[in-house]
Amino acid sequence: MVTQKEKKSCGQVVEEWKEFVWNPRTHQFMGRTGTSWAFILLFYFVFYGFLTAMFTLTMWVMLQTVSDHTPKYQDRLATPGLMIRPKTENLDVVVNVSDAESWGQHVQKLNKFLEPYNDSVQAQKNDVCRPGRYYEQPDNGVLNYPKRACQFNRTQLGDCSGIGDPTHYGYSTGQPCVFIKMNRVINFYAGANQSMNVTCVGKREEDAENLGSFVMFPANGNIDLMYFPYYGKKFHVNYTQPLVAVKFLNVTPNVEVNVECRINAVNIATDDERDKFAGRVAFKLRINKT
Amino acid sequence: MGQKTPQIYSVELNGAKDMKQRDKGDDKDKYRGLRSTCLELRKNDHKERVTKEIDLDDHKLSNKELENKYHTNIVTGLSSTQAAELLARDGPNALSPPQETPEIIKFLKQMVGGFSILLWVGAILCWIAYGIQFSNDKSSSLDNVYLGTVLALVVILTGIFAYYQEAKSTNIMASFSKMIPQQALVIRDSEKKIIPAEQLVVGDIVEIKGGDQIPADIRLLFAQGCKVDNSSLTGESEPQPRSCEFTHDNPLETKNIGFYSTTCLEGTATGMVINTGDRTIIGHIASLASGVGNEKTPIATEIEHFVHIVAGVAISIGVLFFIIAVSMKYRVLDSIIFLIGIIVANVPEGLLATVTVTLSLTAKRMAKKNCLVKNLEAVETLGSTSIICSDKTGTLTQNRMTVAHLWFDNQIFMADTSEDHFKQTFDQSSGTWASLSKIITLCNRAEFRPGQERVPIMKRVVVGDASETALLKFSEVVLGDVMEIRKRNHKVAEIPFNSTNKFQLSIHKTDDPTDKRFLMVMKGAPEKVLEKCSTIMVNGQEQPLDQSTAEAFYTAYMELGGLGERVLGFCHLYLPADEFPETYSFDVDAMNFPMSNLCFVGLLSMIDPPRSTVPDAITKCRSAGIKVIMVTGDHPITAKAIAKSVGIISANSETVEDIAKRLNIAVEQVNKQDAKAVVVTGMELKDMSEDQLDEVLSSYPEIVFARTSPQQKLIIVEGCQRQDAVVAVTGDGVNDSPALKKADIGIAMGIAGSDAAKNAADMVLLDDNFASIVTGVEEGRLIFDNLKKTIAYTLTKNIAELCPFLIYIIVGVPLPLGTITILFIDLGTDIVPSIALAYEKAESDIMNRKPRHKKKDRLVNKPLAVYSYLHIGLMQSLGAFLVYFTVYAQEGFRPSTLINLRVEWEKDFVNNLEDSYGQEWTRYQRKYLEWTGYTAFFIGIMIQQIADLIIRKTRKNSIFQQGLFRNKVIWVGIASQIIIALILSYGLGSITALNFTMLRPQYWFVAVPHAILIWVYDEVRKLFIRLYPGSWWDKNMYY
Repeated sequence: MVTQKEKKSCGQVVEEWKEFVWNPRTHQFMGRTGTSWAFILLFYFVFYGFLTAMFTLTMWVMLQTVSDHTPKYQDRLATPGLMIRPKTENLDVVVNVSDAESWGQHVQKLNKFLEPYNDSVQAQKNDVCRPGRYYEQPDNGVLNYPKRACQFNRTQLGDCSGIGDPTHYGYSTGQPCVFIKMNRVINFYAGANQSMNVTCVGKREEDAENLGSFVMFPANGNIDLMYFPYYGKKFHVNYTQPLVAVKFLNVTPNVEVNVECRINAVNIATDDERDKFAGRVAFKLRINKT
Repeated sequence: MGQKTPQIYSVELNGAKDMKQRDKGDDKDKYRGLRSTCLELRKNDHKERVTKEIDLDDHKLSNKELENKYHTNIVTGLSSTQAAELLARDGPNALSPPQETPEIIKFLKQMVGGFSILLWVGAILCWIAYGIQFSNDKSSSLDNVYLGTVLALVVILTGIFAYYQEAKSTNIMASFSKMIPQQALVIRDSEKKIIPAEQLVVGDIVEIKGGDQIPADIRLLFAQGCKVDNSSLTGESEPQPRSCEFTHDNPLETKNIGFYSTTCLEGTATGMVINTGDRTIIGHIASLASGVGNEKTPIATEIEHFVHIVAGVAISIGVLFFIIAVSMKYRVLDSIIFLIGIIVANVPEGLLATVTVTLSLTAKRMAKKNCLVKNLEAVETLGSTSIICSDKTGTLTQNRMTVAHLWFDNQIFMADTSEDHFKQTFDQSSGTWASLSKIITLCNRAEFRPGQERVPIMKRVVVGDASETALLKFSEVVLGDVMEIRKRNHKVAEIPFNSTNKFQLSIHKTDDPTDKRFLMVMKGAPEKVLEKCSTIMVNGQEQPLDQSTAEAFYTAYMELGGLGERVLGFCHLYLPADEFPETYSFDVDAMNFPMSNLCFVGLLSMIDPPRSTVPDAITKCRSAGIKVIMVTGDHPITAKAIAKSVGIISANSETVEDIAKRLNIAVEQVNKQDAKAVVVTGMELKDMSEDQLDEVLSSYPEIVFARTSPQQKLIIVEGCQRQDAVVAVTGDGVNDSPALKKADIGIAMGIAGSDAAKNAADMVLLDDNFASIVTGVEEGRLIFDNLKKTIAYTLTKNIAELCPFLIYIIVGVPLPLGTITILFIDLGTDIVPSIALAYEKAESDIMNRKPRHKKKDRLVNKPLAVYSYLHIGLMQSLGAFLVYFTVYAQEGFRPSTLINLRVEWEKDFVNNLEDSYGQEWTRYQRKYLEWTGYTAFFIGIMIQQIADLIIRKTRKNSIFQQGLFRNKVIWVGIASQIIIALILSYGLGSITALNFTMLRPQYWFVAVPHAILIWVYDEVRKLFIRLYPGSWWDKNMYY
């Protein structure tokens, strides 16, 4: 008896649906009467209103535990990562020397990126700090006292500064500049009071050969301690991230070269198995010449 | 009433069952009955007659012809080689079991049943997604392949599990039916051999003695006092004499054929096997039974309904969000991955396995209470049963004759008929009783099998027929050592009972050394006994039997007969010592002793009394809204009497006939609506149309079907099913098997039941006791309620698993909960708790409500789905999101930053993603944070599932009414949840493949306020349901 299924004709089905949507006998719309609908809507209005309030309240309580200037935990950021500019899809820096458009976009990005580093801007906003030591700015009793930043002038990037550079950071000549920067981490004393620098190598032996020679700005790829610590974007408004520019002078053309740059600092491990960007950055460089 | 008297007497109770049990012990010294040798078979003079019975004409053949037909020899039997050949040709002599679905098909069904299809789709989508990724980028990650494989594994493992569970329960049954391998004594190579009955072939000569099951269809060649019980075949419970004479054209009626699986009650016989296995008559009937389609069990329908709901929700949300994702300019590949996530989140992967475990737990519990469940789903069917069609003999009754009433000194005395009566309380001081007890003791041929002194009297094995056994046990209880009394009163002559005389007589020397008279004692049909009497004993004094005492006798006789009891009269006579000196030689053939002017002493009535647990069980059934219909082959009066005494017909209800009698009007004048009860005989049933039967079934709450054939049982069952009832049928005979199969749940008797009945049934009652059915009903109802709770518990977290995906797609936050993590909830932390709900005790008296309507009271109804999904599920999601946001905020990503972060977040080359504080994150750092988010969300759900588990303990009562600690298994479940979560977070935290990370301990408590809210909210809901039953709230919130 259970398995007996009554076959319904198409018309019956439509009829049943019609009756479901509006049943004139019982005055039911979608299986409920008007009062029932009113009840249900009222109930859900109140219920969901209450839930929203409850959720908002708990979220608000939770956010009270979070301070404005430093995150509660930084355990994931023990090792800052490294990153390159120009920022490209999959970190492939491809330069078709003859095709101005292909590197033009890199140049545009770099121009924009380096704008805040212009000496004039830096001089206007930031302090000249004493190199070789951390620029610590304790609150001294004033809560969340705004912090000053140290100058990093564009001119420090030498041939890669792009100032009055007809070669457009070397992109038009096949000697591109790549800028390396270290991720900001609040209250991180990079280098642990010892000097640190960035070095780059070809990843494998053939890469090293193809890479050729390069120069670094500032010299030796040094990063000065005075740019640390970082106090967070809210109170360290004009913080200027130190950069290291690498100008590749004679990369073997038409070959993809795997380059790896890492920071040499006492307190930054660069051998994390899982995080390939912890204290280092790997990118591909390809100069296409006809 | 008067004209019915002989019939009352002739009602033969099924004494066969007693016999059978007796036979299990010692077969040898049992037969001391009359030996009548069947001489040479008379030549069959009808042999040339063409018969309509094409299958079987062996009963008409002579021995010689039989020998020729089957190439055998009556004396030497077949040779072993011949037998082996025939065995190879015909196959073993066993009923081929009903067509079994091949194991592989069963297995594959598990693989594609339920949610499996959805999960397969998910797995295949995973592989397709990887295929697309791979064709774009050779180095794409294998995550999707892993996920697909995991999903496939989940399906396969749960499939294997379900298959294993089912196989295990089937095995219980298989082992059960193989417990007693049947043996047959066969003559082969001129030697008697005992071989397994399965190896019999046509032409074999087999010997049978009382107590044996006839091993094949046999043509009797030689019989001594052979009687068989054909009840399993024809439904007639009276023993049928068997001889070697051809008595009837119809093979079913003729006396010289014994049928496979019927029982030889007494005597011995030799027969030739004429049909084996499926070609036997029983085989034909059994194959008919397998033609009756098996109905889908109610719980299977319910689970299917539930699967449809969940799958419907999964597919519609999946497709809806696929469209939304595509129109939000997500790539198709990503949209496919979202779809997979939504499917995985929506499907409660572990639930069907949990249901199976729950059912098998109940099945185990029921097996302990003597209900052996063959098909796991039948566990619940019993719970939804609304009509039980019960057998009488053995199920409602004790299946043994017991002395129920005595009549002497013009008074009716009641005897105790309970199962273990030790003392009889009636007045035993009267002198009449002394005489009566002596007659009862002496005029009896039944004896206890020796060596049972320690066995309680009622349980001792007796050699003798049912009534004599009853009398023997009765006198043993009242008087003590009966055998000793008999020894002291030496028996000198005896006329055994036979159906023409209708009396039994014996003559004894008395144990009084001063009294040299012989004592003649007689018992028999009361009217026959009374005829021979001229005096009656009252208060120990003989008085002449006058009109008034005779009337008193008839009144008592009618009254006892009207109770459906078998009445025996007792009389005695002291033979005068002068006429019958000590040396007198009595000759029973010449009857050289007086047969008249005896002294009537008393009446004794016997009945197969109801089991003492049955009336209570019937009352429970009634309060549980279950209609109990008695269907019996017995006489209407006995049936009605038993029905009244067990409460199937309640004390104050009357049949039409009762009313007519009370008002002294004709039956036709009675207003049928006044009658609550009805007794329908098989004859009446035969003339009824379907509509008339429906009317009887629906208009009378108390129904007894008497004198019905087993075939009519099927008609009754169908009639009940037309009323939309879930029908349970009890049965034991082969002929019951179609009805058992047709019923929603067939219940076979474990002791009395035939194999065919057990095969057709869904459940076997190990103790043949009706009360066991009621416990089964209770368990079945409980499991239905508890399954509701389990499903509600499981469905709730589906929303909490689904919301992360929806929020992820719409708002673009980093994925809050990974697909693998979902599987760890569904198949990890949630499994033990959902099983634990099966141990929950009933909230209220579940035996006080009506059985569920199979079309209206669904397992998963709208309130359940709505409440689980839109109330608790949503609250749970919010709680889990709170944990998620807490983790992100405290690590540097405030909620506002997270919005629309998804695209940048997931780019592998973006290794300097800025958080709310200006810090920059590499991809791996973010990934690790994302996994911490998964873990946090997981813990959030887990903590709230604890609250969910606790609230699901009851649906209506407060948790505090139910008792927090009564169900200890719940706490095991909670402990398991926490332990699994601890292991995943801290033990496996470093195995990143599982996407779990070490979570700070305080995050475990973030969701606690929401968990408490869930509990409080549910208590409020239950409070309103209790306060305002039937209100809008009750209708919408009670699941």
